[in-house]
Amino acid sequence: MTPTRHQLLEMIPDPDLAFDQPASDIEPLQLRAAQELFETRRAQIPLVARRAEEAGITRIDKLQDIVPLLFAHTVYKSYPPSFVEKGQWGRMLQWLQTLSVADVRGVNVDGVKDVDDWIGRLWEAGHLVLATSGSSGKCSFLNHTRADSEMKKRHFRHAVGWPFVKSNADRTVFWLGPIHGPNSACEAARFNAENFGRPGHTYALSDEPLRIAEVSRMAALRKKMADGSATPAEIEGLEQQGARKAVEGRDAMLKLADAILDQRKEPMMVAGMWAQYMMLIARARERGIGDGEFHPDTVVNAGGGVKGIALPPDYKEQVDRFFGKVVRPAAYGMTELAQVMPRCEAGRYHRAPGLIWLILDRDGERLLTAADGEDGVVEGRFGFLDLLYEGRWGGLITGDKVTVDFKPRCPCGRHGPTLFDTITRFAQVGEDDHIGCAGTVDSYIRGAIAA
Amino acid sequence: MTVPVCHVVKGRTITGADLDYGRFATPALNLDELVWPRREPGPAFDTPLAEIMDVLVALGERLTRDPDGLLAEALERGSRTSPLPRDVLERSFAGLGRLFDRRSMAFQVREELGGADVLDGWREVDDAPSGRRHRIRAFPPRLIHVIAGNAPGVAGMSVMRGALTKGVHLLKLPSNDLFSATAILRTLTAVAPDHPVTRSFSAAYWRGGDVKVEGVLFRPQFFDKLVAWGGESTIRSAKEYIGPGFELVAFDPKTSISMIGREAFASEATLADVAERAATDATIMNQQACASSRVQFVEGTLEQVDRYCALLQKRLGVERATTSAIGNPLPSHLRDEIDGLRDMQPHYRVWGGYEGKGLVIRSEEPVEFHPDGRVVNVVPVESLASAVSHANVATQTVGVYPSSRKAQLRDGLAAAGVQRVVELGGAVAFEAGISHDGFYPLQRFVRWVNDEG
Repeated sequence: MTPTRHQLLEMIPDPDLAFDQPASDIEPLQLRAAQELFETRRAQIPLVARRAEEAGITRIDKLQDIVPLLFAHTVYKSYPPSFVEKGQWGRMLQWLQTLSVADVRGVNVDGVKDVDDWIGRLWEAGHLVLATSGSSGKCSFLNHTRADSEMKKRHFRHAVGWPFVKSNADRTVFWLGPIHGPNSACEAARFNAENFGRPGHTYALSDEPLRIAEVSRMAALRKKMADGSATPAEIEGLEQQGARKAVEGRDAMLKLADAILDQRKEPMMVAGMWAQYMMLIARARERGIGDGEFHPDTVVNAGGGVKGIALPPDYKEQVDRFFGKVVRPAAYGMTELAQVMPRCEAGRYHRAPGLIWLILDRDGERLLTAADGEDGVVEGRFGFLDLLYEGRWGGLITGDKVTVDFKPRCPCGRHGPTLFDTITRFAQVGEDDHIGCAGTVDSYIRGAIAA
Repeated sequence: MTVPVCHVVKGRTITGADLDYGRFATPALNLDELVWPRREPGPAFDTPLAEIMDVLVALGERLTRDPDGLLAEALERGSRTSPLPRDVLERSFAGLGRLFDRRSMAFQVREELGGADVLDGWREVDDAPSGRRHRIRAFPPRLIHVIAGNAPGVAGMSVMRGALTKGVHLLKLPSNDLFSATAILRTLTAVAPDHPVTRSFSAAYWRGGDVKVEGVLFRPQFFDKLVAWGGESTIRSAKEYIGPGFELVAFDPKTSISMIGREAFASEATLADVAERAATDATIMNQQACASSRVQFVEGTLEQVDRYCALLQKRLGVERATTSAIGNPLPSHLRDEIDGLRDMQPHYRVWGGYEGKGLVIRSEEPVEFHPDGRVVNVVPVESLASAVSHANVATQTVGVYPSSRKAQLRDGLAAAGVQRVVELGGAVAFEAGISHDGFYPLQRFVRWVNDEG
């Protein structure tokens, strides 16, 4: 690792200092680190080289120089899905190579049965590929190294819970999802189990590994729908499988809910989605358990999308009342990013020194600065270069609309820029109600398969 | 700079900038003015078709001359809000008048309705098996048109078909074409002020899906049918309102392909001709149209197909009647998809860059993403017959080379869902009067009413 990157990344073990750094001190270092990283990765990752060449970037002298080098998240799922459907795992390696630092082409794929098998072989060879079980039916695959994963775990140790609670491997951890599997949510759960959990006292919704192949099966059926070869029985089977899984999930959730309620007087860590907390509340009511009965040192992480789930309009207030006075930290992150951003007492997200923020205009082309807003507050598209990764390029442009405050201090008193807790999505490109007669077969597919 | 958009209400032009949509502003909507009360017949219900055609022919001539500068103004404003380049818009506007051709309109009425008699009055049916004598009429309808904005011709076609069927018509303007429909209707006012046909049309903008507007207007008390062009979201949101007495006539969103036989490789000159034809079909309205070819299946060896791809890529960057030489640069999501394929040789090969001059991807199977913005996906096949399986319910037009092979392919393509088989290079040449998107629009527009004997 290059010296400046190392210097920045090594600040996190003292999070109170790391998240309290004046931009004027950190940004020159970030720029130098970005140049060091670019110099290295350009020679290693073909796509970084191509983007640099197209944009005429030979050096990172200013933050704007990084902008053309940012990937969209779709890059990580730009493989042809027929490779997966037809089991052409060698070709999948060839694709993954274009986004990886290490040579993955030598990974043995003889006898690989499905995509989970393929990921398993990569992990065995030290390429810890994370998959997003994307709702579009097509998964992204993001390579990183074992050392990256260790660094990321260390970052989580210091950033998750900050500034309210320090991890000490001394509590029971409840994770309301599957914990095994090549997915960033599972990975985060494992980090929390190690960082916060008393050994042997982590409980997950499911110990079955998350199967990426199920998502791929969905995508394969979708393709059969499109080309007209899917039968009504196949469609019915898939819709029923979805319903069955939902029921199984409910049973497991009830068991876990009881375990959480039994231990409510102990400090623990609970991480789940809003809808799951609503189920927990319902179970508590059945058992005659009221609001505010949890130990005040309990850490509750809540989040996740609520799209397509029927929740009462005051679900957040209900959950708040139910847990009562507990520790409620929050963080902003995503699969593509290792260095999550914790939320401070003032409700703002702070960045670690090893994470370069690039706040961009709507089109994602121009870097915005304090001058683009009023009083240093600017709205834009969130992009970043995560300096942590050794296994892949850490530069990404997101679809998130963020409001950044470039003023030197956060209302919490700490130094450095912050993000408001108002993150939403930018509307799809195409905007407004442009109507055209052109369309795709996607419009002709509905139900579970359309997802 | 906010561009002013006008409305036209029953022949009157309404200006104003009460509602600001960011890039453009419109007058306030007066919903009461946008409906024609059912208690009275529409203005043109009893106007003879011959008189309507005279007005439409005069409209066509005036659009071509544009003495009031209405199309010029629409071009000026449209070029600031339309995704289409100015030169393509300009040529489209210049051709609008030709739509209102007397022979073409007579042909449509004859082919789609069997003649003007059924529009002008009650057609006798005297050979019913029951022995009863019936009279039927293609009765004028009350229609809301949610038109597509990717080609100004859509507004022209809607006005023409609407006038021929004599009903009352409210056109909802799309945000990618805010000016064509009103320019045509304002020209109609200039040609025939206060004429029943002129009073039968209104055009206004509201944001598609706005329940405050659509929840009120999309009712059988005001309109019989919703005529929806493409726009998946339009059709999905229309579902809320479709019910007894309020029907959907959908020009579904579509995609198109080409099939090129091994005859293309007969000589260099032939191949050059084929590439030119294929590029013409691919770039219709800068590939924004449903008829624009996006995937092309080619019978040939890899070496032959690659040669074709290189030629095709060069021809994609040529100015033609319905395309500019250079389009918009490719959006980043497409660039990402294509970047993922560039290092996948020999399975994939890519010709061209992202600057909007045309790009060709050769692959073993069709790519999963939607080729758009002057991108063509070429897939080598053993035989055209084997490519038929790639057509589906979303496929509208299939351009075939050579034309002589259409006959052997058309039934299989139709079974897969295809609506239109044409000679390669002829995808843009829509003929009004034969079926459109699988049906006869005039037949679907009118309300068939019986007087039974």
